[in-house]
Amino acid sequence: MSQTWIISGPPGCGKTSWILNTFKNHSGNCGYVRLGGYSEINLEQAINSKIDFAFLKDQIPNLLDLSSSKLPLEVEKENILIIIEFPQFFIPKFQGISGIDLRVIKELEIYNLQPNKYLHFGRDLELPIKDTLDFKAIESCSIDLKKNIWDPASLNTFWFELVNGAYGDVYRAKALMNLPDGRYILFNWILTQKGSQYQTLNQVAPLNGRPERHSEIVIQGKNLNFQLIKSTINNCLLSDAVLEHHQATLRNSQLQTSRN
Amino acid sequence: MIERWALISGLKGDLDTYELIQKDLKKTPGNITLFVLGDMIGPEKNCNKLLHRLINPKSNDLQPWCIYGWWEEQILLESGYRGNQRAEALRINKGEEVVKSLINAVDKSFLDWIAALQFGFVELDCGLIHGSSKDVGDDLTLDTPPLTLLDRLTRLQVNRLFTARSTQQFHLELTEGILNSEVHDLTGNHKKEQKVPQKAVIGVGAGKNYTLYDVGTDNTQFVRAGYQSEKKKNGFGLHF
Amino acid sequence: MNQAVISCLHANLPAVEAVLKDIELQGITNITCLGDLVGYGPQPNEVIELIKEKKIATCQGCWDEDVVDGLDACDCSYPSQIAERRGHFAHQWTTEKLTKENKDFLANLPYSIRKDKCLFVHGSPNSQHEYLLPDMDAFAALERVENAKAEILFCGHTHQPYIRELANGSIAVKVKNSGSKDIQKKEMNLPMRRIVNAGSVGEPRHGGTKATYVVYNDITNDVKIREVEYDIELTCKAIINAGLPPIFAWRLKNGFEFAERAEDASHVCER
Ligand SMILES: [Zn+2]
Ligand SMILES: [Zn+2]
Repeated sequence: MSQTWIISGPPGCGKTSWILNTFKNHSGNCGYVRLGGYSEINLEQAINSKIDFAFLKDQIPNLLDLSSSKLPLEVEKENILIIIEFPQFFIPKFQGISGIDLRVIKELEIYNLQPNKYLHFGRDLELPIKDTLDFKAIESCSIDLKKNIWDPASLNTFWFELVNGAYGDVYRAKALMNLPDGRYILFNWILTQKGSQYQTLNQVAPLNGRPERHSEIVIQGKNLNFQLIKSTINNCLLSDAVLEHHQATLRNSQLQTSRN
Repeated sequence: MIERWALISGLKGDLDTYELIQKDLKKTPGNITLFVLGDMIGPEKNCNKLLHRLINPKSNDLQPWCIYGWWEEQILLESGYRGNQRAEALRINKGEEVVKSLINAVDKSFLDWIAALQFGFVELDCGLIHGSSKDVGDDLTLDTPPLTLLDRLTRLQVNRLFTARSTQQFHLELTEGILNSEVHDLTGNHKKEQKVPQKAVIGVGAGKNYTLYDVGTDNTQFVRAGYQSEKKKNGFGLHF
Repeated sequence: MNQAVISCLHANLPAVEAVLKDIELQGITNITCLGDLVGYGPQPNEVIELIKEKKIATCQGCWDEDVVDGLDACDCSYPSQIAERRGHFAHQWTTEKLTKENKDFLANLPYSIRKDKCLFVHGSPNSQHEYLLPDMDAFAALERVENAKAEILFCGHTHQPYIRELANGSIAVKVKNSGSKDIQKKEMNLPMRRIVNAGSVGEPRHGGTKATYVVYNDITNDVKIREVEYDIELTCKAIINAGLPPIFAWRLKNGFEFAERAEDASHVCER
């Protein structure tokens, strides 16, 4: 039997990690769609970031990406669990399925998906409750970092400055980034939760050149100095020459350990 | 099979000695790795043949793993590989003639290879270096204060340091060390007693004098090229 | 007699004035400065002139050296690429601002100052760029003092003040494989030595915002770390007005300078 669920909630409520656990506990196929959400008055909407899918796909390699409007094959449909993730700040007016925003139902018709369950963070007790922020007049920005590689020590400095308010009041910051040794790491920070969450993903890039995989940083907050954020990030990213130097050193040390 | 290192240095262009050592090593039991700890070149002899042989080993040669030494540093300095610096220390101590002889002893085509050589190797918990990690010209001997030796070991974060600069052969073990440290800062007082685990500094010799190191037993054998067979009785050869 | 040791003023005039006042209030007239008069901060000429006016004995710091010699010092003394870029920017700014006279003053500062059993240096006796961090290997730390033939080594450069006593040490050695039958053994006792880091007046990295320096009594051998409050807002405004990176002001104001500190205690550039 296939199931299609819609999960919504405000940014930072823990949707993605709940979805990951649910997928991990499901024995059949898993499919995923992330919708962008809609701009409300005075409320710049969270950006449809690809970080979540890139992270889930790393953890569950055979996860199906249904937003590429590719329908699952008949065999894949067998016992499939499809989760549609959707950022929404306010609590739906009606209980259960009837609480789904009509615009969402319309959008899902493109994918030929009919949800049979709807859960909203902050409404349904089935979901964990976390302190989420009151998102009013929120600013957000997303910077595409594809093919960019960070100097690790600079990344530490920048992240420390960012979450401690050097560039304005940050409520939420989330990033998927490349390091010169091929590591792919997820940084996640929410004002209401203590400390940053760091996770090294399973994918490791080869030690030459720049990986093609998704890389991005999303920042939400107030009075953010985007200009300064961008110029600082630029000063943390490695040039071709420095990257090649790093990678050559790493390649050499691999050779050396294999010599003896 | 016994894992054994052969550590040589100070050939200064002497291909005959190098061949003699290669011949020795063929007769030495065990799985041998050959390290050349610098001073492959020098001002006394034309060094091109030796350099060519190190870069292009004969088919039955043991592969040499080379690092640069004090004389290599001098030629790189003098040839402009270190920015504006020149080999002034050499010029002052040994005179212009020696600087010229050094430049003439090495064909320019080898300079890039020399410049690409590593400063040292770290193998297991051993550091292999020409002088020390403080300086390629660091002259460590049996008479160097133990505190200085400890510092050099600490800089490389190794337990054994193989050095060649002094040209001497020695094996000095630092068997025990203890030191109390008390730090007072704005957060309060922090006391610590630091102990040194057993560490050693080994001088590998130069030219015909070289060192064999048995990785498994941590034993050294000081050898003179061409005389190795006589020394076998002394125990080292009985390990296999 | 009490003497004061100050370090790493980093062109922060309000901090320097506050510290000198604190020293004066204690009736101390003997002051030694461990360098880094300039760099990061907005008032390099003013700080140099104040030090000259007060005739404070000073050694050359890493910034003082670099501003004079160009950025010859290695980039690996920076903990990260971003720190390096900001450092280079501040370096450029400082070089442009400094008067010829003041540059000459920095150029002629000595590497070290010796007074009896005390040696005063900026980083370590080896280099203005070496960090002697409080948790550095104790034997290596002792080696720095011993090699410099001092009993007390005063240093700065880490921007974290501390007093470290190294005592009751001994080392035993054994000559192996010497050819002679009997094994040669030796045991020696190590002398008691101290390292005193004066912290930083102008850019403290101890986690707080107060300027720090130390007071040493050469009769009782007592050393005290002093913390001094100063008008940080004044410095921060001057940083912004000078067009220096605003992050410098943010770090100073929040006591976040520690985020930038070096991690490798014994790192010395091999160039
Ligand atoms: Zn400083
Ligand atoms: Zn400094």
